Amino acid sequence: MRLLWLSALACNGNAHALLNYPHFEEWQEDFEWLYHPLLPSTHAFVEVEEGIEGVEILIVDGTLEEGLVKNRLVYNELLARYAAEAKCIVTVGTCATFGGIFAQGGEGRSGLHFSKERRHGRFDDFWEKTVSLPGCPVQPEVLAGTLSMLRLGEPLPLDALHRPKYFYAYTVHDGCTRNEYFEYKIDEHRFGALEGCMFYEHGCQGTFTHGSCNKILWNGVHSKTRAGTPCMGCTEPDFPRETLWRTSKHMGIPARMPLGVPRRAYLSLAGIAKAFRIERFERPMMEDERG
Amino acid sequence: MAEVRLELIEKIEGEAQVRYFYEEERVDFAEILFVTGRGIEKILEGRDPWDALTINPRVCGICGHAHLIATVRALEDCYTDLKLSPKARKVRELTLAFELLQNHFKWFYLTILPLLDLEAPRRSVLEPSRILGEMIALLAGQYPHNSYAIPGGITCEITPVDLHGVRQRHRHLQKLFRRGVIDVDLEAFVRCDRIEAMLKREGDLPRAMQRILDRGWERLGRSCDRFIVFGHNDLFVAGKSIGTRLQKHLDLRYLRESSIEGSRARRVLYREKSYETGPLARAMLLKTPLTKEAHRRYGDSLFSRILARVCEIPRLLRYTEALIASIDLSESAWIDPGPLPEEAEGTGIVEAARGSLIHRLQIKEGKIARYRIVTPTQWNLGNGSREEPGVAQSALIGLHREDPAELVFKAFDVCSVCTTK
Amino acid sequence: MIKEQHRAEKKAKRRGEIVRTALKLFAEKGFYATTIPEMARDLKMSVGNLYNYFSSKEILAQEIIREISAYLGARIREVNEAELSVREKIRRIVTIYFETARDEPEMIDFFLRVYLSNREVFHEGCEGMICVNEFVTEIMIFFDDGVASGALKNQDFFSAFGLFMGYLGGMVFLNGENILPRALEEYVDDISENIYNALKVS
Repeated sequence: MRLLWLSALACNGNAHALLNYPHFEEWQEDFEWLYHPLLPSTHAFVEVEEGIEGVEILIVDGTLEEGLVKNRLVYNELLARYAAEAKCIVTVGTCATFGGIFAQGGEGRSGLHFSKERRHGRFDDFWEKTVSLPGCPVQPEVLAGTLSMLRLGEPLPLDALHRPKYFYAYTVHDGCTRNEYFEYKIDEHRFGALEGCMFYEHGCQGTFTHGSCNKILWNGVHSKTRAGTPCMGCTEPDFPRETLWRTSKHMGIPARMPLGVPRRAYLSLAGIAKAFRIERFERPMMEDERG
Repeated sequence: MAEVRLELIEKIEGEAQVRYFYEEERVDFAEILFVTGRGIEKILEGRDPWDALTINPRVCGICGHAHLIATVRALEDCYTDLKLSPKARKVRELTLAFELLQNHFKWFYLTILPLLDLEAPRRSVLEPSRILGEMIALLAGQYPHNSYAIPGGITCEITPVDLHGVRQRHRHLQKLFRRGVIDVDLEAFVRCDRIEAMLKREGDLPRAMQRILDRGWERLGRSCDRFIVFGHNDLFVAGKSIGTRLQKHLDLRYLRESSIEGSRARRVLYREKSYETGPLARAMLLKTPLTKEAHRRYGDSLFSRILARVCEIPRLLRYTEALIASIDLSESAWIDPGPLPEEAEGTGIVEAARGSLIHRLQIKEGKIARYRIVTPTQWNLGNGSREEPGVAQSALIGLHREDPAELVFKAFDVCSVCTTK
Repeated sequence: MIKEQHRAEKKAKRRGEIVRTALKLFAEKGFYATTIPEMARDLKMSVGNLYNYFSSKEILAQEIIREISAYLGARIREVNEAELSVREKIRRIVTIYFETARDEPEMIDFFLRVYLSNREVFHEGCEGMICVNEFVTEIMIFFDDGVASGALKNQDFFSAFGLFMGYLGGMVFLNGENILPRALEEYVDDISENIYNALKVS
């Protein structure tokens, strides 16, 4: 299957992350790069501007900007030309999907279909054939897996923002090693410790962020939340929010609730959980358990 | 009659354009242009200072970790009395060094070898890159784009099991280096000062260097022969070197940035002069034997530049091995430094893969009032005038039409995405 | 089948009677001075039968506080779900509290004189605020909405909770001691305004 990778305002993080895919060599045998920003490709970028044939999947990376010229042509026009030809379009990363960080750095910037969560409609003709893969960066397993499933023509159920459910129906909270501290409402968390949950004080967005970070581990070994770094919500339309390392609270009550959980249900459960002092959660994990 | 040709440089981190001015058969002048800009410094203004720890790694997909470390150092510099455990300092040094290693592998295999018409199995680059990503992730959660370094230390506790995972991969990596890059004993190679001895070994490094010699390119790409290194640790020393004349003392007050017409990159000068930064500069400051010998023979050419960068790999491998062995896991991973001051200024300096990276910020009323990033590519690729050309410009000027201009250019390793921050 | 249903209904009714009688006695005489035989006598049932419903005085007291919390919680929830200004919501909550003190004085008395005074009775089974969860949850929601709408100052939960509920409890106590010169309802406007002024964004 022939892939064309076009980057607008990007950091190349998605392209580099893909190289970490454990089966990259074997995976790549099924694909041909018509153009890729790092890897050897069939065409040079100048040829892509002149016009090439046979694009099957168009991969859009980076924040779009009105009037942006990468070499000779207006990037959005180049994009529209190949988008019309491609069978399928995949937006890789939060920048290409929702605008992301760089959308905040200038006027006329957005994702392919979205400005944050709002559909801007400029490329609406291509909406039906677009798959959104947000993430900063997107996990290599998510990108490689999606492309392989598209190649095989396997069904790929999408959510309302066109994110494949197989990867984005989970929350980042799912599979976090700190889950018990969340469940039992232990709100103390100190950086540099194995224990504790960052939801209450340190801005962790894992419970309301769609993604597989703690299901498909990063680099096959770890995740940010497991390593005590709060989830920054990087797969979501409003990434990056302000004051990322502090939980926004109203009189001590978290301003954002876990995904789909009504506030009344959350507060009732929290009230009950908080009533109990569970000794195990108050001592270091590596200390001996009692009786 | 002068002829002007505009070329797009791709397969770097982002893109750049070079406008060549030919006089007869030679490059009479060259302008390096970065046409896109992203506005990271502006995005940071008005934000909570800690937000920079999340935003800044995203400056760059290949050297984002260096940006994180520079950010945390700049934030820590805002405190008057901040404590950092040796463990936290060492773990940060480790992950930073792993990124340098990964960048060196990627650049040598993905950028340099194809320009020398040399092929290597794809796994020569994929395997070390992936393993180094795992090593960073074991300590920092993920790679690329983690934010595990925070004022006062690191977010996570490291267990002996994590460290064991790092150690095993380190051994694997050493094996891959000897099998692919050059088949030598690391200890002996670091002391080696004979280019012929290096060329006799098996591996992609001797193959590449021999190819440069065979094609008679070893003296191409010479530039101003002035080097600068701002970062220092147990591996690198800070200072500047004009030719081989060293001066250890640097003062950031002499650093000056200026905007360049038609380009989104700012040029940066030290005492009104351009300097080369990066592995060759670091090697010149340290007088590492093999690079010193290359420089004696061929000057600050692409030969010396490429050799210096690849020769950083064994030094980084030994450095990280010693670091791993010296970590005392009983120390604190994080020591609460208290809230950041409401009004402060801080500077964070890091030796990134491509050279010195400097972050400077100003906090007013608890928010970021100003953030400035000076990247290695600004030193090396920043444009100057015909009278005072920049480092890469000087290297390109005088090249013959037949000479490998792209190789000369890419020997600096352009990080366009960083530069168009 | 119908017979079984009938029996269950009868049982629930009896249970309700026990709770009401116990509440009245507890509120009047305090937890320790009230005895199970005394309750049984008032209910015209045997002590043994009463134990079939509640296995201890503590468990009965806990059931009572849960019911009071559910009662107040449900009424405050109506306020939370109404389209009202924060100022008006405060007035409604104060009114609910004082109305309850007037119409169901034993509820508030029980809350102040038993639940808050005999904490040892509630240690097992009513840890923390479990037994007043419904009431506290609605107060939390009221505060959360108030801060989110920009009307209330964002501060520590307990600082705000104590100010609000401590004030109302204090007034009911003064009223119970017949110290207040005027009827409790006549204080609603002033007290609501004081609470609003104390909690609003400065």
